Amino acid sequence: MTDEMTAARLGLASCELCHLVSRPASPSEPGYCTRCGEKLEYRRPASIQTTWALLISAAICYIPANALPVLKTTTLGTTEGDTILEGIAFLYTSGSWPLALLVLIASVMIPLGKIAALAYLLITIQRRSVMSNHERTRLYRMVVLIGRWSMLDVFVDTFTVALVQLRPLMSVAPGAGVLFFAAVVVFTMLAAESLDPRLIWDVGNLQLRGHA
Amino acid sequence: MPEEPDLNMLPKATVGRSKRLRISVVWIIPILAAVVAIGIAIQRITNEGPTITVVFKAAQGIQAGKTFLKYKEVTIGEVSAVDLSEDYTKVVVKAKIAKHAAGLMVEDTKLWVVTPRITLSGVSGLGTLLSGNYIEVQRGKSASRRYSFVGLDVPSTVPDRHGRQFVLKASSLGSVGVGAPLYYRSLAVGQVLGYTLGGDGKSIEITVFVDAPYDQYVTSVTRFWNASGVDVSTGEDGLDVHMESLAALLAGGIAFETPDFLPSAEPAAANTSFTLYPNQSLAMKQPYSLERRYVLHFNESVRGLPIGAPVTLMGVTVGQVTDVGLSLDAARLVLRPRVFITYFPEKVVARLSTMEQVGAGKILMDQSTEGRLRLWRRLFEEQGLSAELKTGSLLTGAQYVDFEFHPHAPKPTLNWGADPIELPVASGGFASVVAKLNSILEKVDRMPLEAIGVEAKDLLATTNKTLQEADRLITRANTELLPEASKTLEVMHRAIADADQALLGKDASAPQDLHDALQEMASAARAARVLMDYLERHPEALIRGKKEEKP
Repeated sequence: MTDEMTAARLGLASCELCHLVSRPASPSEPGYCTRCGEKLEYRRPASIQTTWALLISAAICYIPANALPVLKTTTLGTTEGDTILEGIAFLYTSGSWPLALLVLIASVMIPLGKIAALAYLLITIQRRSVMSNHERTRLYRMVVLIGRWSMLDVFVDTFTVALVQLRPLMSVAPGAGVLFFAAVVVFTMLAAESLDPRLIWDVGNLQLRGHA
Repeated sequence: MPEEPDLNMLPKATVGRSKRLRISVVWIIPILAAVVAIGIAIQRITNEGPTITVVFKAAQGIQAGKTFLKYKEVTIGEVSAVDLSEDYTKVVVKAKIAKHAAGLMVEDTKLWVVTPRITLSGVSGLGTLLSGNYIEVQRGKSASRRYSFVGLDVPSTVPDRHGRQFVLKASSLGSVGVGAPLYYRSLAVGQVLGYTLGGDGKSIEITVFVDAPYDQYVTSVTRFWNASGVDVSTGEDGLDVHMESLAALLAGGIAFETPDFLPSAEPAAANTSFTLYPNQSLAMKQPYSLERRYVLHFNESVRGLPIGAPVTLMGVTVGQVTDVGLSLDAARLVLRPRVFITYFPEKVVARLSTMEQVGAGKILMDQSTEGRLRLWRRLFEEQGLSAELKTGSLLTGAQYVDFEFHPHAPKPTLNWGADPIELPVASGGFASVVAKLNSILEKVDRMPLEAIGVEAKDLLATTNKTLQEADRLITRANTELLPEASKTLEVMHRAIADADQALLGKDASAPQDLHDALQEMASAARAARVLMDYLERHPEALIRGKKEEKP
C-alpha cells in the first residue's frame, strides 16, 4: 500500500482547485498553479491542526447543546425548557419509542459519532497508522455524507417555533441549546471538510511532516 | 598537544526545515467556543440558588421539573426530584430555589402544596387546574438560613398579611369552617383560620384573622356573632329572615360589629378572646345595668310565650321574659302558670323625649324605693296597670307580655315587700274574648224575663175583660135597639111611599129633572173614570199637568 506512486511522492503538487499536477517551483515553496493561479500545496496546509481545532470546538459546543434547553414551551404562563435528552425521555415515556430512537440517533449519537470518527481519523493519521486505510476512508466519506443532514434537528426546532405560536395559550421559543447544537453541526462539517483525506494514505512520506 | 582531529569526522549538521511550530489561526475558534461555554457555565453556577429538601406526607401531584415553588404567586424555584424517604413513609422533594429568592429559605419558612380547592366560600388555586399543583412558600421571620423543611399538610394558618388574630369562644362551631369569611358591616375583612375544642371540651375556640386596615375596628367591646346561613327566627314580630351573604349562607361566616351604645374603646390586642354569639340580635343586645325581676301569675295558658319574649309597656319594649313555669299555691291548692319577667328601667327612660321627662324618669332608675314605689303604686293600684298575654303573630302563635291600663278592672293591692314582686295580670287575647262572651251571657242572664211574663199575663186579662164588655154591649143592642129600629123602619117606609106619590105622580116634573140629573151624573162619572184612567197611567200629571198630545 505504501509504495504507490503519488504526486507528492514524485515531488509533484496537485492543484487543489483545477487538479492539474505540476512540478513545484521549489520543494519548500511549491509556487502557483500555471493553469488557474491557485497557490500550490502538496497537501492542504495545516489540515490536521485546523481539523483538530474545529473538532475541539464542536466537542466543547456539544456539552451546552445537550445541557441547555433547545425549546422553551410556554403553556399558560408557565415556561418550561426542554433539553434534547428530556425530549427523548418524554417521547420514550409517552410511548413513541421509534420516534425517541430516531431523535436519539439523529440528535445525540450522530454528532457524537462524527466527533469520535474525526478524532479517530486524526489520531491514526498522526500516528502514521497503516491499518485499514480503506475502512478509514469509508468512515471519512460517511462523515462527509451525514454532515449535510445534520441540521435536521435545527430545522425541526425552527419549524416548531414558527408554527406553535398559540398565544396566550401556548408558545414555543428556541432555547440557547439549539444555537450550540447548530454550532456542533457546523464545526463538525467544517472539520470534515478541512481534513485532507489524502493524508490517510500518505504514511511514511517525510515530506508530509511539515503539513501535519 | 594532542593531534588535531579531523573535523570532517564530525557529523554534519543538516539544513533541515525549521521545526518552529506554526500555530494556525483556526485555534481561535475552539478557544472562543470554550470561552462561551465556560461563560454560560459560570453564569449558570452563579445564578444557581440553593437546593432545598422538603418532606411531605404525600407527593400530591408534585413532579420533578414540572412543579414550581411560588411565593406571592411568583415562581421562585422548581422541584428537581421527588423521592421516597428511606422508610417509605414520607416523600422527599428536592427543589432548586432561584438565587434571588434564596433569602426566603429561613428557619421558620413554611411550605405546603397548593391544590385546587373549590369550596363554597370560593374557588382557590384555580390556576393549579391548568398549571398543576405547586408548592406555596410562606416567608419566615427568622434570619438563619435553612435548606430542609417539613411541608405542611394544610395551608399555613397564619396568613402572610398584616392584621391581627383573635380568639372567639363559642358553645358550638355551627357551620363555620376554616377559611370562612369574617364580615364587618357586610364587608369581608378576614377569615377563620382554624378552631379547636376548648380544654374542658365544652366550648370551641375559633381563631380568626382580621386584615390590617380593619383590625382597628375590633375593640375590647366588639361583639362577634355567627353569620352563617339564613337566620330565620319566628318571634313575636313574625318571621324574621336575616342573611349576611350568599357565601356565608353556604360556607358559614362570622360577623362583628361594635355596638353604638357602648363607649368607643381602644383596638383590642392580638389574640384577645371574645364571645361568639349565635346571632346578631343576641350579640347586639344592649346589656342593661339596671334590671328588675317581677313575677306574673296568669290565669290562662302561656303556650306560645317563649323565654326571651318581649315585655312591652303599651307597645314599647321595656323588658323580656326570663322564665316560664308553674306555681302551686300550697295554701289554696291553685296551679297557675308563672312567668318571670325582667324589666329594664333604662329602656323606659330612653324612650322619654324631653330632658324634663328624662329627669322625672330617673325615678324609675332610682335605687331608693321611695319615689319609685309611689309611682308604681299609682300606676298599678290606682290606674289599673296590669299585664296580659297578647299574640304577636297569628301565624306562629307567639305571645308576648303587654302592660296596659285597665281602669275598670278591680284595683289590686300588691305586696311590695315580696321578691320578686308579683304584678297584677289581666286576661288578654283569647281569654279576653271568652271574658267578653261571658259578660254578654251575663247580661242576657240578668234580663227580667219573669217580670215580662207577668206583664204579658196582665195584658191578656185586660183584653179578656174588654171583650166581655163588648159582648154585653151587643146583647143590649139586640134587646133595646131592635124594636126601636123596626118602628123607625116603618116610619121610613111610610115616608118613602109618600115621596113616591109626590115624585112619581102624573103631574110631577120631578121625574124629568131627575132623569136629567141622573144623565149629568152619569157623564160626570164617565169623565171621572177617564181622568182616573189617565192618572193611573200618568200619575205625574198630577204635578206636571196633562202632557200635550203629540200629533
